[in-house]
Amino acid sequence: MKKIVVALVGQPNVGKSHLLNSISGANLKVGNFAGVTVEKAEATLLRDGYKIDIIDLPGSYSLDDFAKDEKVTKEFLIEGEYDIILNVLDSTNLERNLSLTSELLELDKRMVVALNMDDEAIKEGVFIDEKELSELLGVDCIKTSSLKKTNLDVMVDMIIHTVKEPKKAPKFYYSDAIEDRVEELVSFMKSRNFKLTNHSNRSVAIGLLKQDRTIYKMIHEEPIYAELLPLLNNTLEKLHIQFKNRDSNEIFADERDAFARGACLEVIKNNKKNITSVTQKIDSIMINKYLGIPIFLFLMWGLFQLTFTLGQVPMDYIEAFFKFLGDTAGEFITNKPAKSLIVDGIIAGVGTVLLFLPNIMILFLGIALLETTGYMARVAFVLDGFFHKFGLHGKSFIPLVTGFGCSIPAYMAARTLKSERDRLLTMFIIGFMSCGARLPVYVLFAGAFFTPESAGNVLFAIYVSGAFLGLIAAKVLRLTVFRGDDEPFVMEMPKYRLPSVKLIWFTIYSKSIMYLKKAGTFIFMASIFIWFISSYPKNIQIEDAYTNKIETALEADKNIISNEMKKKLMENTYLGFAGKAIEPIFKPLGFDWRMSVATLSGLAAKEVIVSTLGVLYSIGSEIKEEDDALKNIISREIPFASAIAFIVFVMVYLPCIAATAVFTKEAGGKKYTVYLVLFTFITAWTLAFIAYHSLLLLGY
Amino acid sequence: MLLSEVQTDKKVLIKEINADAILKKRLRALGITKHIKAIVLEESLGKQNIKISIGSAEVALRASEAKQIEVEEIK
Repeated sequence: MKKIVVALVGQPNVGKSHLLNSISGANLKVGNFAGVTVEKAEATLLRDGYKIDIIDLPGSYSLDDFAKDEKVTKEFLIEGEYDIILNVLDSTNLERNLSLTSELLELDKRMVVALNMDDEAIKEGVFIDEKELSELLGVDCIKTSSLKKTNLDVMVDMIIHTVKEPKKAPKFYYSDAIEDRVEELVSFMKSRNFKLTNHSNRSVAIGLLKQDRTIYKMIHEEPIYAELLPLLNNTLEKLHIQFKNRDSNEIFADERDAFARGACLEVIKNNKKNITSVTQKIDSIMINKYLGIPIFLFLMWGLFQLTFTLGQVPMDYIEAFFKFLGDTAGEFITNKPAKSLIVDGIIAGVGTVLLFLPNIMILFLGIALLETTGYMARVAFVLDGFFHKFGLHGKSFIPLVTGFGCSIPAYMAARTLKSERDRLLTMFIIGFMSCGARLPVYVLFAGAFFTPESAGNVLFAIYVSGAFLGLIAAKVLRLTVFRGDDEPFVMEMPKYRLPSVKLIWFTIYSKSIMYLKKAGTFIFMASIFIWFISSYPKNIQIEDAYTNKIETALEADKNIISNEMKKKLMENTYLGFAGKAIEPIFKPLGFDWRMSVATLSGLAAKEVIVSTLGVLYSIGSEIKEEDDALKNIISREIPFASAIAFIVFVMVYLPCIAATAVFTKEAGGKKYTVYLVLFTFITAWTLAFIAYHSLLLLGY
Repeated sequence: MLLSEVQTDKKVLIKEINADAILKKRLRALGITKHIKAIVLEESLGKQNIKISIGSAEVALRASEAKQIEVEEIK
């Protein structure tokens, strides 16, 4: 089977990922925000005996090194191996989109142009003559709509057809003043029989004249470079004199823009009525200078309220189910260690984590809505002024809010920030945005120590204060470690769009599956491990001694003694030893050894904190009361001040090992990881210390 | 006048961009370049950020960037 590799290129917010999703049913995240597809995503489809591999490149306004993700696109287009470019355009914003198209034409590759969002263009009264445009560009153009799924099959056929046919000569030319210079270089390369694989001499010549770094790097390694250099200097000089401009890039960009403008005049039949767009109307409220921030805070508050109230309903069922499962299993299994393993280890551990699935789903629904409607960019606008005071960029908001979901994609989303310093700074404080995995810990503690009515507010307060601590940390880091100039804030405000229910569902579904997989594999193993080290070694002497005591004790004292025995037994397990060893570190924060152990196990994954507490407290306190839900046990066994200190510590300390690994990769240096570990642990410890002792002083 | 000084709902023509090469390139990529018409649509509290429309697209800028763009009011 023949393989066709398609490079999917387009400016941000043209519905590129959505288009790919529509043709392949691929599992891709679609957003309305610059740089949602930071990672290189791929989809494969089979058609007419061809295996078509489509690579979704990060949205780029131009072939630039501006942001890290745009660099990815540019480098792939110049150095990567692919057969054809599929350039996706927003039909409602043709002129600006064509600037990129003309830049792509310089690459001199096979190409198909999809005029996407045709349905919106029709609504706005924009009609594009795609035949005329095909003529002008010298590549096939087709109108598509990823929403209505129109012409998608035709587009795929067009791709296959274009790859089968011999490559057409380019039709896009610059003015003579530039073309003459290009020709000088091309004929020289030809005279030396020079040809780079995958690159036409024309595209190399244009790249050299544009003084493009990537092309220079490639030519620099060729023997022809020495001979070419004097000629190149000469041609460049001529070019600069002729255009009275020393910026080669600008000369080319001016010409491309002129071409795009001219092409638009020829191909667009505009019946556009001059009405205020819906987006402008919505924005006059959403980013209103007085209402913008209150609206944003209200929406966030609503999301957390929803997380708690709506999430509670299925949670009750899940909790009842696992209790039933534990009890039933307990009745059937007679072997004592096996029963303990299954009931106290696996069911208690995995069950406590699964309990929080509804919360996770609601949280990701919120984030997906933010992304796909276009509101995320507005938040960046509304918050930039405020963020800027703390040394952050409005765009930092995107990785930071993604951090509420999971730190891993958040570290990746930080790539949209151009300046290295802003990027690192943002990455350092992502951990302050409590990730979804910490939510179970908060829900558990909020439920245990506060009334059900106030639990939602407590949850909101935890998230807000975490974010606020992050801002303060940013300011401190900005003043000490990351000093320097600011990155400019220039950002597109995409149109508001109704999110596709299918896509939103898909995002939630894939996130939930990921969570379930984690619960089924990683947390399953961790639960068994923690159960094991908290049950062994068995101490027969203690057991025997206490069994005798219980037998001879008064009926009323039996419970107390039996609990004492369990406590003693637990303290003499592997986990107990480990807990005792680290207890001095956490003692000033009011943690008992079980909490200390939970913080350590939380490094594996934050959900493990809850399952650890579940295992430790359920083994340790099998006092049969009417309701022995974990939260009741915790509210009984942990003092209020320690609980708050614990929340504070969990809020701030290092995200899980996996996230830290991604951090190391994205930050580009192991030393940053060391800084991150030290920074988060010291801050977490100090803040928890302050919280604990202030509460003690206040008499809690 | 400078783009940062323009009142909301006023239409302007961009005369000159006095930014460094990187910012200039970025502005151009978003459609902000010489001889282009723009309308100031929204401003944030204290005019720290503004939102303008360029053709059918909308772009947000910080005041410090808008200061580097020379414009002329038009009808």
